[in-house]
Amino acid sequence: MPDFSPEDNKLALKVVFYGPALSGKTTNLMQLHSLLNPERKGELMVLETRDDRTLFFDMLPIGLRSHSGLDLRLKLYTVPGQVQHDSTRKAVLSRADGVVFVADSQVAQQDNNAIAFGNLEDNLDKVGLDIDTLPMVVQFNKRDLPAVVDEAELQARWAGTPWAPLAMASALQGTGVIETFQALLDRLYTGIDAEFDLAGKHSIDRSTFIGRLSASHGVDDA
Amino acid sequence: MRNFEDDPTLSDLLTPDQLQRLSNGLSALCRKPVEISENRAGDAVPVEFNLETVGWLSGGASDGEREAAAELVSFLMLFVAKYRLAANIHHDTTEASYAELQRQNEALRASEAKYRELSDQLQQKVDEQVDVIRQTQQELYESARLRSVGHLAAGVAHEINNPVGFISSNLRVARDYVQNLEPLLPETLENRELLEDFQDLLSESIEGTDRIASIVADLKTFSSIDQADNALCDLNSLLRSACHLVQTEHDHRLNITENLAELPRIPGHPSRLSQTLFNLLDNAARAVGDDGRILVRTLADNTGIQVIIQDNGCGIPETVRSQVFDAFFTTRPVGSGTGLGLTVARDTVRAHGGQLTLDSQEGAGTRVVVSLPVQQGS
Repeated sequence: MPDFSPEDNKLALKVVFYGPALSGKTTNLMQLHSLLNPERKGELMVLETRDDRTLFFDMLPIGLRSHSGLDLRLKLYTVPGQVQHDSTRKAVLSRADGVVFVADSQVAQQDNNAIAFGNLEDNLDKVGLDIDTLPMVVQFNKRDLPAVVDEAELQARWAGTPWAPLAMASALQGTGVIETFQALLDRLYTGIDAEFDLAGKHSIDRSTFIGRLSASHGVDDA
Repeated sequence: MRNFEDDPTLSDLLTPDQLQRLSNGLSALCRKPVEISENRAGDAVPVEFNLETVGWLSGGASDGEREAAAELVSFLMLFVAKYRLAANIHHDTTEASYAELQRQNEALRASEAKYRELSDQLQQKVDEQVDVIRQTQQELYESARLRSVGHLAAGVAHEINNPVGFISSNLRVARDYVQNLEPLLPETLENRELLEDFQDLLSESIEGTDRIASIVADLKTFSSIDQADNALCDLNSLLRSACHLVQTEHDHRLNITENLAELPRIPGHPSRLSQTLFNLLDNAARAVGDDGRILVRTLADNTGIQVIIQDNGCGIPETVRSQVFDAFFTTRPVGSGTGLGLTVARDTVRAHGGQLTLDSQEGAGTRVVVSLPVQQGS
């Protein structure tokens, strides 16, 4: 849920990158850190173990300040994908405003995707969130690998869900990462605007919200 | 409680000692001392962490020095915060896991208690069943013993019946002969006394054989040696003949009031029912003596019929009341009762699907109620 402090005029939002182990959640975040050039961008905090597996979470804060003085913050988190870190996943997931589900496109990983998605559903339920109403984007990552499920097949399979169309990405190559993030910002904006009247009070409309938070190097702010 | 993700303040990240040490170290590097504080001073520059100003750095010789020192502190903060965040989330998840474990432990404990209770109940049920089996075995043993005693008695009774029959018959003939002899003897006092005595002896002997015959009949009924065929019985007529028999036994001295309602016929063994009614009436007759009253009533409703035999006689002492249905239990002098009357009566009533209840108060009288169903269970 959005954390608004009226005394500081500060609105903090939380986006969580969820998904099975080794699906590229941290890589997504690292790419966002290097590709994005929003008005304000903090340090990428990575808490990994020796073998590059996420132990607790990664976190990247970005933000913008509106003309009305609203200090809008977006904290991007990843969860540890390994099964045994479920309580950490739950702690990171609590109070999330949006979720990016990073799935592994490889044919052999489809079961793990399903298990992780079920786990997301369970944990959202446990922290009091509803998967059907929470702004969420499903990204199929690792499109650059050879043995991946056909995109048309994936899109068809997810066509009847609230998360269609799917986002395709290759986080390692840096493709599709920003598009995924922008799709999430688009879905996130609807609820936030309804609650805080971003467009009316703070003159942040949908394209400003998306554009300013996902501005990349070499592209002017909207 | 603060969430692990809440933006930390300077004092969350560093203790005053550490802050002091950091300030001292930076002061030594700069040309003029610097100071880090949570409050903004005149020339202070912000120390940022996670886009958040966590403190202000003032002092130093130039803007450049301040900027460089603040940047260094921010850089250090990143690692301090990293540890702090990891520690916080570790703490949070450990707490959550512990709470979860405790809840599971609690649930386990509750379920264990439930199973323990179930197990106790099961043990109790087993114990109860064992008691029931033990008691049933005991009863079975008792009834087998009684049955064998009954069979023995019935066998003996059957054997006795014939000799008793001809002794009784011979005695009556002998009594007639003695009467015939009377006119033939010389009329002396001695002879008359002798004859009278002789006749008394014969009469007493006849009485004795009658008693033996009645005991034998009771025993035969008790052991069901000669079962009559099932027939529709009119209890009123059975009752009337039993009353008549009892009156005969007691020289018609009894004051019996009959109050008989119209009764449906019921299927049963007429002779055994007669025996039962006779036994009950005989008991009443013996209880009231010469000047008591016996009330005999019958009632019928749609579930069954009732025979009530009530007397205002001596009643049954409380000390023996629990034993009156026991076989061979009797309060009468040895030889005058078999101790089978009520036993036979109750067993007969039960065999007809009914029940026999007995109310008695010592000195006030006894009331026996025989309830018999109209339709016997098949």
